[in-house]
Amino acid sequence: MQLQQLGTPLTIFLLIMFFGATFVVTLSIGKKNENADAYMTAGNNVGFGVSAASMTATWIWASSLYASATSGYTYGVSGPIHYGLWGALMILFIYPFGRRIRKLAPNAHTLAEILHARHGRASQLILAGSNVMGSLLSLASNFIAGGALISIVSPLSFSSGVLITAAGVLLYTLWSGLRASILTDFIQVCAMLGAVVIIVPAVFLASGGIGVFETGRSNLSPEQLDFFSSDAFFNQGAPYIAAVLAYAIGNQTIAQRLFAVREDKIKMTFLTATVGYGATVIGVGMLGVLALYLGVEPINGDMNNLVPQLAASYLGVGFMCLFFIMIIGSMASTADSDLSALSSIMMTDVYGRNIAKPGCANPKHMLFIGRVTMIVATGIAVYIASNRLNILELLVLVGAIWGALVFPVIASFYWPRVSNLAFTSSVLVALAVFFPVRFGFVELTGVSAYVADVLAVFGVGIIAGLMVFGFLGARIGIAVGVVIAAISMPYGIGFLHTYPVLTASLLAYAVSALVCTAVSLANKVEFDFKQIRQATGNFDEEPVLS
Amino acid sequence: MSAEFMSVYLLIWPVIVAGVLAVLVRAFFKEMMAARREGRPII
Repeated sequence: MQLQQLGTPLTIFLLIMFFGATFVVTLSIGKKNENADAYMTAGNNVGFGVSAASMTATWIWASSLYASATSGYTYGVSGPIHYGLWGALMILFIYPFGRRIRKLAPNAHTLAEILHARHGRASQLILAGSNVMGSLLSLASNFIAGGALISIVSPLSFSSGVLITAAGVLLYTLWSGLRASILTDFIQVCAMLGAVVIIVPAVFLASGGIGVFETGRSNLSPEQLDFFSSDAFFNQGAPYIAAVLAYAIGNQTIAQRLFAVREDKIKMTFLTATVGYGATVIGVGMLGVLALYLGVEPINGDMNNLVPQLAASYLGVGFMCLFFIMIIGSMASTADSDLSALSSIMMTDVYGRNIAKPGCANPKHMLFIGRVTMIVATGIAVYIASNRLNILELLVLVGAIWGALVFPVIASFYWPRVSNLAFTSSVLVALAVFFPVRFGFVELTGVSAYVADVLAVFGVGIIAGLMVFGFLGARIGIAVGVVIAAISMPYGIGFLHTYPVLTASLLAYAVSALVCTAVSLANKVEFDFKQIRQATGNFDEEPVLS
Repeated sequence: MSAEFMSVYLLIWPVIVAGVLAVLVRAFFKEMMAARREGRPII
């Protein structure tokens, strides 16, 4: 089947329109009163509509649209659910922790900054370092998605596509930081969601409508036809649950929006983003299921080509333009969030809380550092993107590394006995266990397999317990964790180690929780949480006026 | 699973997305009007 192309002039026109419109919108942001705090937190007073749009746009990134379709294509009818539903629920599960964090540190700029106030430099730099790594990879991944799309729908090369998208995002994010990112997210989310509303039914109808599900049934294996496929759960759903909980905790882009939104609108914002993300990502994932029914083979065997290929095969020029804007919107909204997150980390965690003397951080220097960070980060991400590293694999790796941080970070915000030693030792020991298992340096056979399975089952209990703990408190959280671990034990032991990626993630959760708990129990000194509020105040003396 | 069920399963997501989009757009314009009335920027 012939692929529909947009051609160079139309592609360039759409890019200029998209990035031009977002840039014009950022011009409406007052610049005379721009200051370091507003650059990072947008004044802590953003309303529900803008915040929910921003949270949704940030959580949906180009790779998540492609990955959901890949999951649908690989695992069949349940595939998009095992990508989109769990990702969506994680936004919901992170909500109670978000409220707690905001209560403890209403004027904070980054999560790592709060850890600095809670524990000190070592804990702060561990989290900040992992955030920088994650955001850089996410940035590169979005540039790759932009470059790949442009190279498929137009005669422009992949490298040109990467450069154009990187320059476009930097153009409008550089000046006003988070405020530009949040405000433009609204336009981008309208473009993305609007496109999903039109494109998914359009591709469905153009490819044959309801009849496709009759004629194409033979293209699916029994496992792919099974809505309760264990293959889909253990290979896609379960590792994703483990990784995404960690993403939501460790990702500064989400934390930044948490600090920006009006405190009374946090719940509504998180709920709306949960539904918006889930429906959008699952909806695009259904294109992967459709491709499976249609018997479509991805060009060059590259799954990332699947969605653009399907669109180019069945849509006319008008719908293709919409599709193009949808992917560019998802790419830009996450990329600008990553740039804002990276600049905040460098401004707050590197300069503000470590290089400058206490109370002497110069907001003007901070703004300069923030902008330089954005330029340097864009350069590094373009370099990574141009070399076409396997970004998704690296991101899954970073997500798993964040798994080692989840329990210590959450425990630090609730349990006064968690110390800097408990935090750092638990993370380091968990990583020391995670890496050999994840990369197969330790063969999981015999006793090691048994120990890994027992710990992995414990990790399952930790994840379930943490999810419930946020909503219903420590007692019920612990009880649910114990019950889930007990139920999982007969199935998990002798089985889980055969899925090393999942096992490694679960070990990271389990070991960090065990070490953190043990060291904390030995500590008799209790931390006064009121200190966090005082230690995470604004850098600018004047309140934000614009 | 029948073809009808699969069609509904595929098309339900764009419908939900349309609902969320309507909520977001309504809230945004409400905030924009309020900000304009009070003479301050929306963000």
